[in-house]
Amino acid sequence: MDLDVAQRLFGQASPNILLSSILTGMAARPMTGQAFYVLTALADGPRHGYGIVGEVAELSQGRVKLKIGSLYGVLDRLAAEGLIEPDREEAHDGRLRRYYRLTQDGRRALAEEAELRAATARVVRARLRLTGEQAAG
Amino acid sequence: MSSDLERRYRRVLRLLPGWYRQQWEQDMVAAFLDSWLTGDPAADEYISKVAGPSWAEVASVAGLAVRLHLGGPGTPRRYAWGHAIRRAVLAVLLVHAVLAVDVLVFLVWSRRLVGWLPAPPASLVVAPGGGWDTVYYLVSVTWIVIFVTLALGHYRTARVLAALAVVPGLVALLQAQLTGILPAPFGPWIFWVLVDLAPVLAMTAFHRDAPPAAPGPWLLALPAGYVLVYGPLMALQATGNSAWLPDFSGLCCILVSLACLAHAPRARSRQAAGTGLRSLTLVLLAAVAGAYRIVTLTDYLNDPHLINVSLAELLIVVAAAALVAPDAARAQTATPAPPPYPHAMAA
Repeated sequence: MDLDVAQRLFGQASPNILLSSILTGMAARPMTGQAFYVLTALADGPRHGYGIVGEVAELSQGRVKLKIGSLYGVLDRLAAEGLIEPDREEAHDGRLRRYYRLTQDGRRALAEEAELRAATARVVRARLRLTGEQAAG
Repeated sequence: MSSDLERRYRRVLRLLPGWYRQQWEQDMVAAFLDSWLTGDPAADEYISKVAGPSWAEVASVAGLAVRLHLGGPGTPRRYAWGHAIRRAVLAVLLVHAVLAVDVLVFLVWSRRLVGWLPAPPASLVVAPGGGWDTVYYLVSVTWIVIFVTLALGHYRTARVLAALAVVPGLVALLQAQLTGILPAPFGPWIFWVLVDLAPVLAMTAFHRDAPPAAPGPWLLALPAGYVLVYGPLMALQATGNSAWLPDFSGLCCILVSLACLAHAPRARSRQAAGTGLRSLTLVLLAAVAGAYRIVTLTDYLNDPHLINVSLAELLIVVAAAALVAPDAARAQTATPAPPPYPHAMAA
């Protein structure tokens, strides 16, 4: 590497740069897969933390195994967004289990997300059928 | 009485911020113990002695801790910092992308790759530099790709590409240092640390739950930034006023100062929503530009005039940042909650 290349690489000679930073607002977030499973686990009634972990594993046929840290990251966020809320606390083997339930907003958000996913699944199935027929033909 | 298993898990939970533990620790401990204990006292006693949180469990808590410290959604004070860091990273990557556009424009012009362009002045014609030139151009293109992918919300792709993009710079720096051809003692190193490495590390703030920025304005900022920054600089050069051209760190100070001045009226009126987050971002950028200016002062120790100019640039950026700093401080205590899911909003 010669001096000229070094100067261009490290830029003391050439003034470069940015304009004023264009700072923009936030866009709405899509629902994550984990949040979808957690809301689904609460759809038929309140559950405590470990109960949700078990239900999510069953719903996903063992493909989603939530760790406790991940679960509470999701629960905290869903509670902050008003989609779930504490239901009750029960003592079990000397430990206090807190149960969570869906709010009305949570129920609505889950229903709409399920509809969105079902519509996507219908498109996928239709396209796969189409390409399957083409491949067979 | 807490068991050994519980104590081990609580130790891991210390990674989480205090305010979060206050709210969730008991619940997390209960869920964790539920996942291990069987209800049989003998078996549970044995499990409590030998078992502990798995690496995956520790990783999940560590991941949650990073997200909370860097502003995961629903974390009021931290949210402001996470938001500001993400915008500051995008701004620094915008700098990289604008620099890269300049490199490519220069390449096209100096090598006369487009026939109808006027011939470049002899001083700008550079002979091909071999392998390093190729790496230099490839890295430049990569920075543009990183900026665009990050603005479009492809966080993981951007992180991987950025981690790769900083390596050639480090190798080239080491080689230049060892062969004694580094143009200045500290400037190139601090450029690599502040403008290359720091944003790559700060890209951890673009975690899975980070709300995406609206990509349109950021993508528009790339051509606009190039024209608005390089236009005046080229005009200065073309009119024989090259002596007025600031160096890179000086230019950073000037541009951040201009951005602060442009934002100051809104920040001081406190009427528009979200001004505090912008102010916090600008204060972060001013801190980076100021630090860069301070370190590069050492490049001019033999030139009192340039030292004075550099100190003036430093003062300007500090004064400009002071205009928006009160609004930035306010952002940390009054950050609006992140928006709910789109479905809930529509309902």
